[in-house]
Amino acid sequence: MATKPSNPEPSASSEAEREVLEKWSAAANVCFSSGHKYCQPMCPVMQVTRNENHSPTAFNANVVAMERGELGIEDVASDYVHCTQCGGCEIRCPNTLFTGDMYRFRLRTVDIVKAMRALAVESGIHQPAWEVWNRATDERKNEPVLGDLEVSQERVASWADGLDLPIGGETILFCDCEAAFYRTSLPRSVAAILSCAGVDFGLMREQWCCGGPAAEMGYMEQARRFAQHNVDDWRASGAKRILVLDPHDYIAFTEDYPRFFGNEFDFEIVLVVELVAELIRNGKLELTQPVERVVTYHDACRLNKRKGIYEAPREILRAIPGLTFRDVDRVTQWAYCSGGGAGLPIERPDLTAEISRRRVEKAAELEIDTLVSACVWSERYLAAAASEREDAIDVVDLMELVAQAAGLSSDPVS
Amino acid sequence: MRGWLLADQITPEPTRVANGWVMRRDGVLEVDPELMRTYVRQQDMPRWDFERIVTARQDYLQSMETHMADRVLSGAEILQQVTREAADADR
Amino acid sequence: MATALRSIPDAALGELRSICGEAFVLTDRSARFNRARVSTAFPVHRWADFVPDVVVLPATAAEVSDIVRLANAWSLPVVPRAGGTGISDGARPLRGGILVDIKRMDQILEVDLANRTATVQPGVNMRVLTDYLRPFGLIYPDQPGSYSQSLIGGRIGTNGWSMVGGRYGHPRDLVVSFEMVLPTGDIVRVGDGGGKSIRKSSSGYQLKHLFMGHQGTLGIATEATVEVVTRPECELPAYFAVEDWMAGYRVLGTIAHEGVATLSRVFLYDGWRLEYPLSEPLDFISPGQAVPCVGFALHGIEEEVRGAGKRLMRVLSQAGGRYLGDEVSRFEWASRYDRYIQPLHLGRARDGQVIPMYGHAQDAAIPYSELPTVRQKYEQIVRSLSERHEVFLFEETAVHPNGAFRAGGDYNMELRVGIWEQRLNDESWAAWVKAKRDLAIVAIEHGGSISNGHGTVCDGEVDVLPLELGHAFEVMKKIKRTLDPNNVMNPGKMGLDAAYESEFRDDDT
Repeated sequence: MATKPSNPEPSASSEAEREVLEKWSAAANVCFSSGHKYCQPMCPVMQVTRNENHSPTAFNANVVAMERGELGIEDVASDYVHCTQCGGCEIRCPNTLFTGDMYRFRLRTVDIVKAMRALAVESGIHQPAWEVWNRATDERKNEPVLGDLEVSQERVASWADGLDLPIGGETILFCDCEAAFYRTSLPRSVAAILSCAGVDFGLMREQWCCGGPAAEMGYMEQARRFAQHNVDDWRASGAKRILVLDPHDYIAFTEDYPRFFGNEFDFEIVLVVELVAELIRNGKLELTQPVERVVTYHDACRLNKRKGIYEAPREILRAIPGLTFRDVDRVTQWAYCSGGGAGLPIERPDLTAEISRRRVEKAAELEIDTLVSACVWSERYLAAAASEREDAIDVVDLMELVAQAAGLSSDPVS
Repeated sequence: MRGWLLADQITPEPTRVANGWVMRRDGVLEVDPELMRTYVRQQDMPRWDFERIVTARQDYLQSMETHMADRVLSGAEILQQVTREAADADR
Repeated sequence: MATALRSIPDAALGELRSICGEAFVLTDRSARFNRARVSTAFPVHRWADFVPDVVVLPATAAEVSDIVRLANAWSLPVVPRAGGTGISDGARPLRGGILVDIKRMDQILEVDLANRTATVQPGVNMRVLTDYLRPFGLIYPDQPGSYSQSLIGGRIGTNGWSMVGGRYGHPRDLVVSFEMVLPTGDIVRVGDGGGKSIRKSSSGYQLKHLFMGHQGTLGIATEATVEVVTRPECELPAYFAVEDWMAGYRVLGTIAHEGVATLSRVFLYDGWRLEYPLSEPLDFISPGQAVPCVGFALHGIEEEVRGAGKRLMRVLSQAGGRYLGDEVSRFEWASRYDRYIQPLHLGRARDGQVIPMYGHAQDAAIPYSELPTVRQKYEQIVRSLSERHEVFLFEETAVHPNGAFRAGGDYNMELRVGIWEQRLNDESWAAWVKAKRDLAIVAIEHGGSISNGHGTVCDGEVDVLPLELGHAFEVMKKIKRTLDPNNVMNPGKMGLDAAYESEFRDDDT
């Protein structure tokens, strides 16, 4: 449960509240004036809790109610915990889907959730697990993805041991915290793939967390500070191009960082999945080793819904020999999610577990043995859900399969 | 490949096509931004976001066409048949 | 300044927690404010007047029954809420009370392939159900505008209307039987006769039809058995521009009376502002120009649909209609659920600037012969309103078929009005209520019904419900009084408080 501020400063919090409400009033009122709730069947949290407090409708309506003085941040802070910021509501809403481009005005629920979470933090209302998580991140500069085992800057690049990767250069591979410490098979696969295809890249001198999770959970000052550090490191390295293997980082670098730095932010951000699709297409990476698996693809929310990136992963899967690929279209997957985003697994692990359970169950209906994702954050929770089942379903990252198919994997996915 | 660059997220200048309507991208009608000055301002919508919406709509409509029935027949084709038969009957 | 809200007695709250579990009894402001409005025009300036006192999320019929019994014991109002997507205020609390949110009851319980039914809980969405049925080669063809988000409980509560009702019927036809928790807490199954999957019976009173459209005043549906049908091989949507509305009106009748069995839908739009960007739209329609449009949609096996398609295309061409092309027809039909509310697209201030407007849809049922006159009167009423209050805007009218299984005879005369909710005040809201009343009277005077599918619950039009129903309203009051002796179920709705007034009561002392 959220704690109420012990020493509230009404004037500071109400000024901050006024700013947030003013900024998001138009978008919230368009939603409220529509009133039609297309979002609710899409929303992975609503699908589980069935509680309208957690609906995108309520997230927007709260802004309207706060404008009218009927609700305050203390009334709604805990509601806003219940969101993975998947963006399904935004893309499905007819105010985006049918008139968003026509009016250059769309639903902005994800931004509203982030803004309200930030307002809560600013008002001294902290979610207990988020507070601990972000403090630990601030102390260690990376997210505490290993639970009781501490992460550290000394080990942030340990995943690359033995690979002789340079530090710095024009192209930097940004390896996010989950990949750097937890699912190290992913960055090792990516490094092997890129090297094989002749893509030169280096690592950061001092890689901190991208700051995206802090921004998602409302810790904006920390997010900006981390962003500054990373950008300074890139500049010191002479970097112009940043390769990202995690969609969450892609969101942070293409949405949060431009907001922080404006036109000064002149880096090229390249999603590894899109780069690898191109390498395969151009013959620079050959996939010759059959991978005898029956797979389906989990459209990561931050690629499919948030960014409209869904073709490149499918192109890659179709290029892997030996694979039987049972697809579910990207529109149907607007309603799918792993539950792993925006701090939900940290504060409400029970909800993430149920969302993941349902996702794996849907995959299992296709009679597959492998669920492939292109988002490292989804894989932990999907794998946990899969391990609870009697049927054997592996959860693998797309790049791990590519590495195997390219004959690069020293520990093939088994 | 060219990845994401902030400098690429430009909004092209609009071309007026009718009263109250403009186009910046072929085939995509937009409201004249002059009509969004007073009560509701347009959002900052980078190029990737705009393209995402257009593509999503196309994909959604395609998925809707097989939601209720297996396929959609072509009215144009049927109308052509009707027209041909009417012309034949006239001869 | 936040409005002070009342609460129910602590002891009652404790009992609710025992029934539902603490996690599913919500008293926080956010839970209550977010369950005040439905998808109807909302007097947002009076939001606090419509919040419930407590929200409960039951999981079973037994829990719902216990909640209703508690409400009787404590004299607390009960307001059922399914999706909250209704367009007639059925689920808007008028007197606080216990809001019973049934969305946790969202399971598809059974698909009976032999007897062609599915049994579901009331929190199931029809589109989700059709997706579920797809591997069986079946669909559930109840398709209102809110198809993507409304729930079966609400379809029962509103006696809703389906866009493809011309072929497949409406909820009253498609919901074969259902379980109700009555206002006393008793649980009963109602249908046609007693068999769960029987479509037609002559055994006893056919109580299903009594509860269809009760707007939460006669209990809460807790399970439904619905008809599922063979997935059509194909569909054929076709949109034609016509010279003027009367030409469209005439050919609409002709299409409807051709005797085509695969006809799911016919429609007539009086003015068609170019709504959505299509590729190269401008060779046939200029944006902002009204174009009356007539069309149809057919569903079924290909042999039937092709044959019917040829017939109707010939009819429309001979009537002077200009086919708008496959791209337009497919786009319009595929987006049929998605474009009935777009606040920025509907909203224009007097100076032409874009504003967000709620899109009210008045949905009278009108005999075919009266459609032209009703349309004119509707337009007059709304234009006059909009001249006096800039927060209202006449948008358009549309005609859709009303009956089931055959188009023709009577139609839904839909009137769309834009409302700038953010700028509503008591004066403009009062003008709106009066306009609603005037629109309702027009429908009644022309042999119609105030509402074909949303319900007659909203301020203004509900006042003249007795006028529409005549003595049948007296029967309605008796039924309400008999089934809900303590007036706990959605009190204040549909003028049914009158059932408890002393001059009406048979047991007056």
